[in-house]
Amino acid sequence: MSDRLEISQKQVNDDILRMLRTPGKVWWTIFIADLIVLFIGIAAWRYQIVTGMGVAGYTRTVAWASYITNFVFWVGIAHCGTLISAILYLFRSYFRRAVYRASEAMTVFAVMTAGLFPILHLGRPWFAYWMVPYPNQRQLWLNFRSPLVWDVFAISTYFTVSAVFFVVGLIPDVAAARDRATGRIRKLLYDVLSFGWRGSNNQWKHFYGAYIFFAALATPLVLSVHSVVSWDFAMSQIPGWHSTIFAPYFVAGAIFSGVALVINLLIPIRTIYKLEHIITVGHIEKLSKLVLLTCMIVTYSYLCEFFMAWYGDSKFERDLFWWRATGPLAWSFWVMFTCNSIIPWLLWSKKVRNHISWVFVICIFVNIGMWFERFVIITSSLTRSFEPGTWERFYFGLTPVELAILAGSFAWFLMWFLLFVKFLPAVSVAELKEVVPMPMRGKEA
Amino acid sequence: MKANRSARVPGKRGLWKSLGGLLLPPARKAPGVLGVFFYVDSATSAVRALKQAGYRVAVMSPVPHHAIEVELKQGPSFVRWLCFFGGVTGVTAGFSLCIYTAYSWPLVVGGKELASIPPYVPVGYEGMILLGALFNLVGMLVLAGLPAVSWNAPYDPRFSEDRIGIWVPARDAEADKVEQMLRGSGAEEVQVVA
Repeated sequence: MSDRLEISQKQVNDDILRMLRTPGKVWWTIFIADLIVLFIGIAAWRYQIVTGMGVAGYTRTVAWASYITNFVFWVGIAHCGTLISAILYLFRSYFRRAVYRASEAMTVFAVMTAGLFPILHLGRPWFAYWMVPYPNQRQLWLNFRSPLVWDVFAISTYFTVSAVFFVVGLIPDVAAARDRATGRIRKLLYDVLSFGWRGSNNQWKHFYGAYIFFAALATPLVLSVHSVVSWDFAMSQIPGWHSTIFAPYFVAGAIFSGVALVINLLIPIRTIYKLEHIITVGHIEKLSKLVLLTCMIVTYSYLCEFFMAWYGDSKFERDLFWWRATGPLAWSFWVMFTCNSIIPWLLWSKKVRNHISWVFVICIFVNIGMWFERFVIITSSLTRSFEPGTWERFYFGLTPVELAILAGSFAWFLMWFLLFVKFLPAVSVAELKEVVPMPMRGKEA
Repeated sequence: MKANRSARVPGKRGLWKSLGGLLLPPARKAPGVLGVFFYVDSATSAVRALKQAGYRVAVMSPVPHHAIEVELKQGPSFVRWLCFFGGVTGVTAGFSLCIYTAYSWPLVVGGKELASIPPYVPVGYEGMILLGALFNLVGMLVLAGLPAVSWNAPYDPRFSEDRIGIWVPARDAEADKVEQMLRGSGAEEVQVVA
């Protein structure tokens, strides 16, 4: 096993639990700046509710625009966490142990962010509860044949399961934090969150007995959730959306952007908290390989879409794809293609994969590219549908309200993540101990 | 053991503990012996010896050790059956909800069947995962005795760090015997709770 760490068990506790100190000046500065951006986003939403959806650039044909783009983007981000924590757990991938907690937290916070957008996108957000399956006053239920209803089930299940997975995984680590906590409030908080965990053999037996099933349930869930999101588009007949490759294409894209954001979050954590010996360059390199693999799948899907448009002989489809690459929205298409299919090719080089700053910058490009991918899919298809009379109404770009809400969504996500790194162990203490050498008297004798 | 930090000191109950005592019954203090080990193989041989002598043994450790689990002869957790039951309930509930709603307000489209199974698959599928995970969670908590408010066995914060604790319920002469066995196996510290 090449992923063994040459530190003692006590050192693992020391290194990871020292992150949970009282916040310093830097943390507070970032946190307050983050809250200001979040407040601007909330103010923009208020303005949108009062004024109407026109301020978000919505037109008669383009009724899904940046908010649904943001929704798909954040759901996509959420996918990597469960991939790392569940799928790689089932594959017994040792490198995941150092990085899975942060990515799992990212998953939960990203779903919390994604879940805001269908509500932000509503003209009357106070009716969001209509999506909940219950009969109205005339005993009429939801249409369970609609992919939008499937999406409600998929996203709410995904949020519940990933939050449960996250909280359950935290139990032994929070117990370790409790045993070291000094303040009364902290101790009480950790005691409650650890459910009074003592690490007895009976507890460990049922903990891991259940953990593997959480992983086994979360694995098909990861694949199904973004498939269901893709069917929001693919089940319609709009050119550029009505495609059978959408499910695997979306899942690969989700993992692509998710892993990239995990890298973007882990690199500052390992640098700020001096965890270079725990989250090693080797871990970042392995994640980079995952980025490269999904980059290949995504690029293949882009090319495949164009091939199908040409080969399928549908006038509308062929016209739309040509227009996407050459029309007035071509800039967004080429941003997407450059960031997702050209720049990540640098990761073929081992030198680049082992260079932390290079990987960090490439991953930022990947996330920009993946945001634009959803933007291209959603807005270009709606701008140029079957009816030429509506083609004039181009969706040119983001309005200030949309920009403020997009920035607000990043602030909302970052707020939770900042609280997480300060109050909960951002690296798994218990699981890391499985890859450190165990003290054996036999060895020392 | 130098200090048993979680042991109760009689007559020194704080306000919160007193209030908590009104809600929850006080922990039954069981007599027994606690051994603290650093080396995994020493702890494993202690567990083996104690099990062979017919004692009930509880092990507290920062991470589960396979060798100790083997000596304890632990079978697989029952939680898997609860998870399975939850999954079956979820998939049944998901499909039933969709089919029931289709028939409760019959809306015939093109003379087709009221309930169409393929579009109901996502709802049934997500239902299976949701209830499977929730049953798994509740099953795990119940079987592992969580949330745990009070414990019979003493606890040391080092058990979440790098030490292994072996707790054997025993009293009087038995306790002396257990103490000797634990020391003989290489326990760093041994504490007898009378």
